Amino acid sequence: MLEIRNLHARIAEDGTEIIRGLNLTVRAGEVAAIMGPNGSGKSTLSYILSGRDDYEVTEGEILLNGESILELNPAERASKGIFLAFQYPVEIPGVATMQFLKVAMNEQRKARGEEELTTPDFIRRVKEAAAKLQIDQAMLRRPLNVGFSGGEKKRAEILQMALLEPSLCVLDETDSGLDIDALKIVADGVNALKSPDRATIVITHYQRLLDYIIPDTVHVLYKGQIIRSGDKALAHELEANGYADIIGQAA
Amino acid sequence: MPAVQETVDQVRRIDIDQYKYGFETVIEVDKAPKGLSEDIIRFISAKKQEPEWMLEWRLDAYRRWLTMEEPTWARVEYPKIDFNDLYYYAAPKGTSGPTSIEDVDPELLRVYEKLGIPLREQEILAGVKTSRVAVDAVFDSVSVVTTFKKELQKAGVIFMSISEAIREHPDLIKQYLGSVVSTTDNYYATLNAAVFTDGSFVFVPKGVRCPMELSTYFRINEKNTGQFERTLIIAEEGAYVSYLEGCTAPQRDENQLHAAVVELVALDDAEIKYSTVQNWYPGDAQGKGGIYNFVTKRGDCRGHRSKISWTQVETGSAITWKYPSCILRGDESRGEFYSIAVSNGHQQIDSGTKMIHLGKNTSSRIISKGISAGKSNNTYRGQVSIHRRAENARNFTNCDSLLIGDRCGAHTVPYIDVKNASAQIEHEATTSKISEDQKFYAMQRGIPEEEAIALIVNGFVKDVIQELPMEFAVEAQKLIGISLEGSVG
Amino acid sequence: MNMLTTNPPAARLTAAETALVEAFSAQIGELPGNGAVIGTRDRLLDDLKKSGLPTRRIEAWHYTDLKNLLRAIPEAQATAATEAVAPLVDGATVLSVLQGVADSRAAVDGVDIASLKDRLVDGTAAAGLTALDKDDAIGRINGSFVRDGYVLNFPAQAEIAAPIELQARHAGGQIHTRFPVSFGEGSKATVIERHQAVTEDAALVSSISDIVLEEGAEITWIILQQQGLADTHLGQIRVKLGKDAKLRLFVINAGGKLVRQELRIEVVGEGAELTLRGVNLLGGESHTDVTLVLGHNVPHTNSTETFRNVVFDRASGVFQGMIRVAPDAQKTDAKMACNTLLLSDEADFAAKPELEIFADDVICGHGATVTDISKTHLFYLMARGVPENKARAMLVNAFVAEIVEELEEEKLVEALEDIVSAWLEKHA
Repeated sequence: MLEIRNLHARIAEDGTEIIRGLNLTVRAGEVAAIMGPNGSGKSTLSYILSGRDDYEVTEGEILLNGESILELNPAERASKGIFLAFQYPVEIPGVATMQFLKVAMNEQRKARGEEELTTPDFIRRVKEAAAKLQIDQAMLRRPLNVGFSGGEKKRAEILQMALLEPSLCVLDETDSGLDIDALKIVADGVNALKSPDRATIVITHYQRLLDYIIPDTVHVLYKGQIIRSGDKALAHELEANGYADIIGQAA
Repeated sequence: MPAVQETVDQVRRIDIDQYKYGFETVIEVDKAPKGLSEDIIRFISAKKQEPEWMLEWRLDAYRRWLTMEEPTWARVEYPKIDFNDLYYYAAPKGTSGPTSIEDVDPELLRVYEKLGIPLREQEILAGVKTSRVAVDAVFDSVSVVTTFKKELQKAGVIFMSISEAIREHPDLIKQYLGSVVSTTDNYYATLNAAVFTDGSFVFVPKGVRCPMELSTYFRINEKNTGQFERTLIIAEEGAYVSYLEGCTAPQRDENQLHAAVVELVALDDAEIKYSTVQNWYPGDAQGKGGIYNFVTKRGDCRGHRSKISWTQVETGSAITWKYPSCILRGDESRGEFYSIAVSNGHQQIDSGTKMIHLGKNTSSRIISKGISAGKSNNTYRGQVSIHRRAENARNFTNCDSLLIGDRCGAHTVPYIDVKNASAQIEHEATTSKISEDQKFYAMQRGIPEEEAIALIVNGFVKDVIQELPMEFAVEAQKLIGISLEGSVG
Repeated sequence: MNMLTTNPPAARLTAAETALVEAFSAQIGELPGNGAVIGTRDRLLDDLKKSGLPTRRIEAWHYTDLKNLLRAIPEAQATAATEAVAPLVDGATVLSVLQGVADSRAAVDGVDIASLKDRLVDGTAAAGLTALDKDDAIGRINGSFVRDGYVLNFPAQAEIAAPIELQARHAGGQIHTRFPVSFGEGSKATVIERHQAVTEDAALVSSISDIVLEEGAEITWIILQQQGLADTHLGQIRVKLGKDAKLRLFVINAGGKLVRQELRIEVVGEGAELTLRGVNLLGGESHTDVTLVLGHNVPHTNSTETFRNVVFDRASGVFQGMIRVAPDAQKTDAKMACNTLLLSDEADFAAKPELEIFADDVICGHGATVTDISKTHLFYLMARGVPENKARAMLVNAFVAEIVEELEEEKLVEALEDIVSAWLEKHA
């Protein structure tokens, strides 16, 4: 599904290199966890996958289903099935949540050459998905993310993920700022979307989230490179011993 | 909080009418006759042994000035100035120009000692090493001495009075004088071009980081004397210089005029930091006397990646009319303006800045803190202008005003002109009185009201104070405390 | 800032100034009014003639050099045909002013109503024909030329449920209208002042609304300006806000070639509250200037002012906003914001927010921004698959919608949002 080869990337404004020769393969149906200490480049990777122009790819390749996505803008990548659940979803006053959902769903369908949704169909889908995530209608009537609590924002991200039916989900620190109840709701939402033709990348600092979203593979990111890969046992090892050991071995 | 404590101590010791620097020095002087005419200009030019072209330059400006009218747009009021009732040249006898320290009249040295300005290099060297500062001391119309000239020369830095520079470096003067503030710029700048008597000249050559702080100390002593100094600072490619000016005047019943022009030129990658602590006599509690401070200061970021930073602490003068500005001509150049303006008694301040964005990727930052007390009026007036071709310009402006007492005024007049869609302009301004909650909190902890106010004011101006060279930051804080004395109750 | 040091020489009259003077002599015989009114008209025109149209040297007109911008005056078109249309919101009462002429049969239940023409003829309107100060060009032009409008008196405690729409429509020419309105103690009403061009024929429009809110009145007043691409619109609203009165004033500019909309508001009663919102949609070659002078004159009053401007094409926009707090007007709380999206490199915007504060126990502030669309917002929308142009349109719409939605009344919000989206679709 996703193949990243020898990726190098830097901050466009000041040229600071963040990703330094990263290789990663994620297969369809796989849940891959990317773990790493602060500043290792985890969030940068999620932005580069989704096409934020604050970063420049200087070398390497990102292939989605065998096709390079580097020349695509964020909207085109989204239509190809890349979904980023933001660590800090931005508040956009004045844009109604429902209107936003409808435009996003229909624009993606249009880009893929599919029929636009009828309004009743759209509303039915939103209501169903919202109910599963315990999102009440009042929240959907507010402007996008405005005045949402941390937990509400994360649930709203998962709601969008459910509605947009992406093929590659990238969850950036989705557990941050969540209490245990909210974490379960979010994890259930993510697990419900698991399917053989969908891959998920879970970016996280702590092992906690991985108790609820069980990864097939775990990769340790440090200084812009994957320095070790393994299965879920690796996450427990990290939890027990911290990052220092693995970093020491790699060095 | 030692600085705050010092402020408080100063406030305790000094009454509003006891302007610390208000003493007069009896010194024999050379004076031009009163009044303004072409003959007076010839007299000044001759006294300075200027070349003919300089005299012509002055006369051109004078003729132009005769056709101009005094500006009235600022929020200041004063009786019409009789420009023929002033002396345009006054110099301590025997000092038609700067000399070595051994030749300076001991009486004059005592003046600067009293003002706390060290002129004897060995004394300075004996003091704290880190605070070595080269000083150009200007007394009424002439520079009396410039310290550390030789040491600066070794680094290639020229630091001398502008009168000397006109004689010794005519090419630099011809190239740069009037290239930032033209002789036709405005009423007071044009007057200055005609009659300027002295001031400082700084030239920092390519790649040189000036090894010490430079400073000029201005003192108006004579009665009815206008002071018209002219300062020109040039930083060549990659050069750096930090410059400070300080000003005082004796306490007098009549008003005195100060109309200076300062021009800064920064070439590629150069940086000039210009700091002012202005403490001219503000007039007495009834608003009698004081300096009219009508000043034109402008920096030209002529080179790419150049930077000019203005920091001012304005506590003195009866009237201040002053807008230190930056022309951001070079790509990626940067202008900064940090200001504290304190008005008390009957003082009137109309001051601010202009940031003119012409080059690409230019940025500017304006932080202005106005404090009004007594019956004073304090206006921030500033312009941020983004020209059509100034791609990606950035400006951040913050103007805060603090009112102490209900008989003063605080005004904010920003002009924001944007002609390029890639600009990001943010302006914010607030006006409020000292927070009762903060004051109560401090007083509840046993701090008397005046001290509590000094404490809060020091917090209010902190962002600007920290931009000053360290040696002057403490001095500036003291001054602010003193200026606000008598504002409570 | 105005750094010019010389005063303007006494210049000859420009073409537009001459045309104004000539129009006045041509029309004087037919302008309604008794002796007092005629005397006032003469005086105002005379002042205008002496000072000329304001130039950029007059600080209040710094960004709108009327002398330079107003090139010509269109011919008067007394007979051009226009008719009233459906109101902005269903159920509103329409008081039409067609081609500058009020409907003499108009009536609103519970409100005293008269045509301004009648009040000019009997002279009772004479005292109101004033210029506010020496730079009040709009006061002078309107006072000289005004022909009609409505005089409305809302009795004390009157609660008028249906909005009243002052519907001023024209088909070019010279249109000078005026609306003196007083809202009695405790009265409640919503008034929509709507200016609309029917054709693309050039017009010179001046319109002054002179409104007084007595103690405890709660009023919503909406100004919707939709003039044509060739029109000059000189609008002014004068407001006196009495004790505990609450005014919500919404100003929307979505048309015109040369527009100056002055908001001259004096808060004169303790406990009064002003909510002022403005939306300026600027496109084409237009020049639009919104100038606010807000005086807080007594203690314990508060106000908030928010303006949102979007600027396309070669348009130029101006916002001047002065908040004046008089000595002794303690406990004033006034906050002003002016946010601009500058969306074209050929457009420009000038903002001059101003504070003039003479009382110390106040909280006053202003903010002004001029920016492009937020990159973070744009990225978020695009990351969800919304193409860039659509994402931009959504964000521009949202920027304005946020203000319109503050009106809360659903029907009004919807009607205004429709106008906004229609305008944006045409220009973006």
